[in-house]
Amino acid sequence: MSTPAISIQNLTKEFIPPSVMRRGAITAVRDLSLKVEAGHVYGLLGPNGSGKSTTMKVVLGLVTPTSGKTFIFGKNSRDVESREAVGFLPENPYFYKFLTGEETVHFYGKLCGIRGKMLRDRTRELLALVGLEDAANRRVGGYSKGMLQRIGLAQALVQDPRLLVLDEPTAGVDPAGSREICDLILQFKARGLTVLLCSHLLSQVQEICDRIGIMHRGGLVREGPLDHLITIENQTEMVLENASPELLAELRAKIAAGGARLAGEGKPQQNLERYFLDVTSEAKKSDQ
Amino acid sequence: MTANSPSAAAHASAHKLFSLGRAAAIAGNTLRDLVRQKVFYFMLVFALVLIGMSLVLAALSFQGQLQMVMNMSLGAMSVFTMLLAVLASAMMLPKDIEDRTLYTILAKPVSRFEYLLGKLAGVALMLLIATLLMTVFFCIVLWFWQGREIASIRGSVQSELVDAEVAKVMAGTFTPTLFGGIGVIFLRAVVCSALTLMVSSFATSWLFTVIISLMLILIGHIVPIARSAWMDPIQAGVDVPWYLSLFLRLITVFAPDMQLFNIVDDIAVGTHVASGIFGQVTALGCGYITIYVLVAYLFFAWREL
Repeated sequence: MSTPAISIQNLTKEFIPPSVMRRGAITAVRDLSLKVEAGHVYGLLGPNGSGKSTTMKVVLGLVTPTSGKTFIFGKNSRDVESREAVGFLPENPYFYKFLTGEETVHFYGKLCGIRGKMLRDRTRELLALVGLEDAANRRVGGYSKGMLQRIGLAQALVQDPRLLVLDEPTAGVDPAGSREICDLILQFKARGLTVLLCSHLLSQVQEICDRIGIMHRGGLVREGPLDHLITIENQTEMVLENASPELLAELRAKIAAGGARLAGEGKPQQNLERYFLDVTSEAKKSDQ
Repeated sequence: MTANSPSAAAHASAHKLFSLGRAAAIAGNTLRDLVRQKVFYFMLVFALVLIGMSLVLAALSFQGQLQMVMNMSLGAMSVFTMLLAVLASAMMLPKDIEDRTLYTILAKPVSRFEYLLGKLAGVALMLLIATLLMTVFFCIVLWFWQGREIASIRGSVQSELVDAEVAKVMAGTFTPTLFGGIGVIFLRAVVCSALTLMVSSFATSWLFTVIISLMLILIGHIVPIARSAWMDPIQAGVDVPWYLSLFLRLITVFAPDMQLFNIVDDIAVGTHVASGIFGQVTALGCGYITIYVLVAYLFFAWREL
């Protein structure tokens, strides 16, 4: 069996407020155990304060666990070496605003030991991937929120990691930018990259993730393959095109005769995101 | 593309516990950030102070103006480099934490020690450039005043003594001791930077860091007195109660002995300082820097981000 990309074993994290002694400790994560298999896109969900970000920080070695252990591809998260394989995009990231986009990616590349022509080629490739070639020489201080997320994604990918940890990658980004980021994650998924995604945008999580875990008050309350968790096993959905009223009446009669119950019927609606993107891209075309 | 890129295999060599390359990347970035924050505009103020001081001295006319220029310039250089060191170092860590830039750096294979060392090296590089720029400006001003002094000698001293007096002025102006003194000023600034970095490793705001660091630097000027009162109160002629003794110990342990660097004051008044003294000051300065970086690391290694 292959080594999991992330393995969390009985993780508990307590924060002690500076002015209060131990009995005032706040438990952010409580006895959490979780595995993310290599090549999966895992969605970690939960309301604010449920412990998602703390879990991510422990996995990345930014926070020390009170008890329990976390591993990245079998290496303890507390070892700096484990981060060779990880790219991380925090929520609402800010980078050194006096650097240009290109210099930012260069800087993170150097931290990963990439130098010279390889670094220049990699930077160019990543800026093209995230659609920032035209803004490569602009200072990051002048970037929009969507551009910051994209440069954040570029720096996360600079050492070609096997695991990407994304904390709210589309927070504050407009629908078009958000769609682009989702498409990028789908590309990573197609290439076999493991992704741990934290997001409040459930429709995106549903579109992208293979497996999800739902956290509440520091613990995992549900976990499993997305399809299994949200599929209603005793119902079947059919979408008909150009069905005549007679055919529909006949179907209804057959359903009743067969002992089944027609739970719902109606006209399907297209996704609002898709509709918005179609309208805005049409408007752009007419402007040109 | 990403997964097929040759870069992954190329850099997937064994991880080194400490990499000079990673620390250098952080140092270079810190320097670039400081330069683009127009920190060297500070130098303009230094230049204006020296020009203003020269104009005031030119308006007055008395003996020993050259010595005065040297004294005041080295004093200004000391104050400017120390302020620059504290202000530049105090901002680094709290700002990186607040902007979450630190998360992205430490989520790469970078140890907290490499991060701290890189940050300190970046500030030290900036201080080196600032000290060199100030030295150039100082030398120009000193050269101008040396010329004035020589002209004044030629105008007032008996002709048979002129050459000897001029040679004396020439030999006493741009001396190795003077440049050694400038080196000590730079070293003191790096000590202040390391001290500030140590304070910022446990502080939660840059303002707190600036205040505490400046206080420690000020207190550092009384370290020799505190040390003698603690270690030999009878000879120091004081009766030290236990709480004062504890306070003096704390000062002696945590504050840098700033008197150590006061050989610059002796140099400014033309005293010759032996090279052995420079060696001792350099060794002690480097010792302070090492201790502060290590203590900063101990705090920072356990800090929750």
